[in-house]
Amino acid sequence: MKVLDMEAKSILDLINERIVVLDGAMGSTLIAAGLKGGIPPESWNIERSELIKKVHSDYFAAGADVVLTNTFGGTRIKLEALKHGDKVEEYNTAAVEIARDVCPKGGYVAGDIGPTGKFLPPVGKITIDDFYENFLEQAKILADSNVDLFFIETMSDINEAVSAVKAVKKVSNAPIIASITYQKTKRGYFTIMGNTIEDCTMALVFAGADVIGANCTIGSDDMIDIIPLLKKATKLPICAKPNAGIPELRAGETFYPTTPKQFTQDILQMIEKEANVVGGCCGTSPEFIKMIAEAVKGRIT
Amino acid sequence: MDSNEKYKEAIISGDRELAKKLAEEVVKNKEDINKIIEVFSEAIRHVGDLFEEGEFFLPELMRSAEAMKGAMEILTPALIEGGKKERIVNKVIIGTIEGDIHDIGKTLVASMLQAEGFEVFDLGADVPVDTFIEKAIEVDAQLICISALLTTTMVGQKILIEKLKEKGIRDKFKVLIGGAPVTKNWMDEIGADGTAENAISAVKLASKLLS
Repeated sequence: MKVLDMEAKSILDLINERIVVLDGAMGSTLIAAGLKGGIPPESWNIERSELIKKVHSDYFAAGADVVLTNTFGGTRIKLEALKHGDKVEEYNTAAVEIARDVCPKGGYVAGDIGPTGKFLPPVGKITIDDFYENFLEQAKILADSNVDLFFIETMSDINEAVSAVKAVKKVSNAPIIASITYQKTKRGYFTIMGNTIEDCTMALVFAGADVIGANCTIGSDDMIDIIPLLKKATKLPICAKPNAGIPELRAGETFYPTTPKQFTQDILQMIEKEANVVGGCCGTSPEFIKMIAEAVKGRIT
Repeated sequence: MDSNEKYKEAIISGDRELAKKLAEEVVKNKEDINKIIEVFSEAIRHVGDLFEEGEFFLPELMRSAEAMKGAMEILTPALIEGGKKERIVNKVIIGTIEGDIHDIGKTLVASMLQAEGFEVFDLGADVPVDTFIEKAIEVDAQLICISALLTTTMVGQKILIEKLKEKGIRDKFKVLIGGAPVTKNWMDEIGADGTAENAISAVKLASKLLS
């Protein structure tokens, strides 16, 4: 394992200087590599660690400044549902080690935290305390493993997102990017719980997030529309990580319709509208990130 | 407010206690239960429209479905007791396929089907194909709804249909498939009876298929 470079610039300073590029998809990449249903992707941090390492190093080589650890579903609730509840520490620790191993000088490792898949009443039965305890456990392991920042993402419930931010704040001073997933309705963009971009942003800012974002669910074309709405709600830097379009199944294979070229053009439009951190969610690959990194190289924020 | 509006408002506002209270009054006063169920159903369909319009979201939809269920739990037994069971109650098996723990979409469809008057057997998430089939045979269901949110688990929908064919009972059940990656092409490829964009359309489709 490499020695941590304590002199390294904080990701927040970098964001203030220039456009920061995140990595692309992990989950859909692993599925393409043969990950079957019922198996947590995080188990591959142990079983197929060389593959995970290669995904990270491919993204760094493509020009990503930041990679996200393979810990999206690494919370106890999520792992327990797949009967891997006793592996929370093992999977999360290994995930950070793998990413750290291939992180170049000047690169960053973000501890990735995804939703639990559970809902508060009246939709489900979970409580805010459950959310918090669950995220606290994962955040502590990631913090102890020395991630450079946290990436809280794909949250569809404002309360769950805020619980995750609070849990991270409790155990770490590392910067937090907090990203919500919005769906497009006839009345504009909302979470599935009915919260507006403004409501979510205000709650995340208040909870202590450093960068506010949107990711997943929608494609890069719709994501362009979201940036000004985020900008209007906060002065903090903005992060955008859309999907490569809406997936379709073609001849039994999942197919994301947006090409790297279209995607990059959309990302450039987001930057025009003052997005500061950009990357790819489902259906994107190192090819996407390479094109984006080349297009935004050195661009001042 | 006329009395119909009162019933509708209980459902639309998602007031389960009020919906139950109104249902109890209907039973006590020996009013036409079928007529009241129709009024409640109209309200839940309106809720569905509001959801599709982006006026209502998951919490509102679930509250309204719960209010509807509360009322139906009182009205259905009274209907049966009164010997006026003109409605045929269709039975539905629903669950998320083995290897997949995503259950919010499935739960939503289950609630809306229940609200619409179906008798719903929700098997939960991570359910083996054989369990779907065994339960469907056991309760003599008319409809099997099988959800998959992952492209890796969608194949379970195909296996279900193949197994029904092997057993020679494919014609006994209508099979609806659901989940974000499910498309009409996939439905045609595996020979399912239908799929829908969302929970509201799924209920409309289920009613249509079984009518």
